[in-house]
Amino acid sequence: MTTPAAILTSEGLAIGHGEQVIMSGIDFQLAAGKILAIVGPSGCGKSTLMRSLSGLDEPLGGKTTVLGVDLATAAAAERAATLRRLGFLFQGSALFSSLTLLENVELPMREFLGAPRRDLRALAEYKLALVGLADAMDKLPSEISGGMAKRAGIARAMALDPEVIFLDEPSAGLDPMTSGRLDELILKLREAFGTTLVLVSHEVPSILRIADFCVYLDPDAGRMGAYGPPRDFLSPDAYPKAHAFFSQARIP
Amino acid sequence: MSHAPANPPRARTEVLADGSTVVAIAGDWSAQVATPEITFKGDRIRLTAAELGGFDSSLPAWIHRHFRHVRQLDLSALPRRLRALVELTETSTSSEVDAQTPGLLEQFGDWGLASSSSWARAFEHIGETASACGRLLLGRARVNWQDFWLQLQTAGVDALPIVALLGFLTGLIMAYVGLIQLRQVGATIYVANLVSLAMTREMGALMTGVIACGRTATSFASQLGSMNVSQETDALRVLGLNPVEYLGLPRILAVTLMVPLLAIFATFVGVFGGMVVACAGELSVSQYLTQVVVAISLKSFLVGVIKSVAFGFIAAWAGCYRGSVAKPSALGVGEAATTAAVLGITLIVVSDALFAVVFNLFNF
Repeated sequence: MTTPAAILTSEGLAIGHGEQVIMSGIDFQLAAGKILAIVGPSGCGKSTLMRSLSGLDEPLGGKTTVLGVDLATAAAAERAATLRRLGFLFQGSALFSSLTLLENVELPMREFLGAPRRDLRALAEYKLALVGLADAMDKLPSEISGGMAKRAGIARAMALDPEVIFLDEPSAGLDPMTSGRLDELILKLREAFGTTLVLVSHEVPSILRIADFCVYLDPDAGRMGAYGPPRDFLSPDAYPKAHAFFSQARIP
Repeated sequence: MSHAPANPPRARTEVLADGSTVVAIAGDWSAQVATPEITFKGDRIRLTAAELGGFDSSLPAWIHRHFRHVRQLDLSALPRRLRALVELTETSTSSEVDAQTPGLLEQFGDWGLASSSSWARAFEHIGETASACGRLLLGRARVNWQDFWLQLQTAGVDALPIVALLGFLTGLIMAYVGLIQLRQVGATIYVANLVSLAMTREMGALMTGVIACGRTATSFASQLGSMNVSQETDALRVLGLNPVEYLGLPRILAVTLMVPLLAIFATFVGVFGGMVVACAGELSVSQYLTQVVVAISLKSFLVGVIKSVAFGFIAAWAGCYRGSVAKPSALGVGEAATTAAVLGITLIVVSDALFAVVFNLFNF
């Protein structure tokens, strides 16, 4: 049953590559303003699940809705309008290589926001300053490190003040200081704008700090293993593989 | 896209007796409408938001833009969530320094430096290619022979249809134009000489070289440029493989081998094209072919082959060179493909002119 406050739902969702199902039985509901972490061993389909949840890929079974819209069946106009309310950080950042970081962040603003150019530029500068890239806004993606590209990707994902942001491994390639700053940013975004965040991550300390709920994907069973608050997985009574994942990765 | 909001964003400044300034923020702040402009003095600013309605990130962006350099910025009167968003940013001035436009003289200097560096890189690549060829002759080159065979197919066999079409049409056009002129002096029989000599010595090689630039050089530049973007060439280097040798040499060898063969093919097809026009008018097939055999000498044939070897080498080198220096971006790869075609065609035409002078000097 879907509660009215649920901003992201998954009912019997099956995901995969092409026609091949790699993970099924994914059921959960996420309320607005919550942070969901998708965890599991490498190659279990975390990024694929995120793509399905955000409407980039069609599910192979079941149903998923975001902001109350089933993107797989929605009409083109409704789908486009809903997608504009989402932000997405890709694993490889996917910055436009021939644009500077500022232009990358400005691009969606110019397309969809009505403020004058001067304000859009200030807005893009602010978003880059939020992720600590105030010094690098005139650089091209080829001139910055992988960690900086990741942060620039986050700034672009935040360009239109989305209601839901999907982050595919946001901490990968970041130093601990920046990673901690990013956690802080995620929490403040949620606090200030009530943004819902869905992230794929392997950083257990970070997940324990910021996530409200966790989906654990079990590749051996080919199903979602567990869903719940991440601290629950620390309990020995939790789903054994999820408990093992959290216990092994936890800082001693 | 802008709508006039019922409660537009506003900001009012007031200088207090102690010299500090209060900026009162009011209204609904949205990125869909213009933000207000304000002027203020002093380094002690207090922001208030008693009449603030709703806001999105346009408000913290506005605060960031106006007050990031202020020494004493008091945010305590702002709502907690707005304060959090403002405090999360970092102040920086470096982008403003970077944004200064260089002067005309500086731009000219930059252009000069970029040009000289580009020429130096081109000569360096020629040197690397020559060195790779040398190592190949000594049997010490590490070449991707799989690429060589693939390029023989893609740059050679796959180009047959376009070479046939353009060669046929070139011969046909030359015969048509030639016939009009030669008919005036009653020498239409010489149209066969004109077409066969032009195709053998000049047009067969030139057309094929241009096709190789448009088709193969651009392809090489895109391939190698994309490999630059994904750091595949760096991966080869750390494996101890020279990219010019491993990737460039098989391509250059394949095209240098295939372009002469394609040029010979284009020559035959062009002569055939000329025959179609000539024999549709006043010549018989046997008359035409007899004149062709008389006109084409081994020397003319060799001239065409020598040129086509050079043109093949130039087209392949231009593609490999531009690909190897492509900027690591989508635009860079596109530019590499374009400049490869332009560079290749220019060098082919220039070298054709040089060949004409040299062959004339040696009466070849």
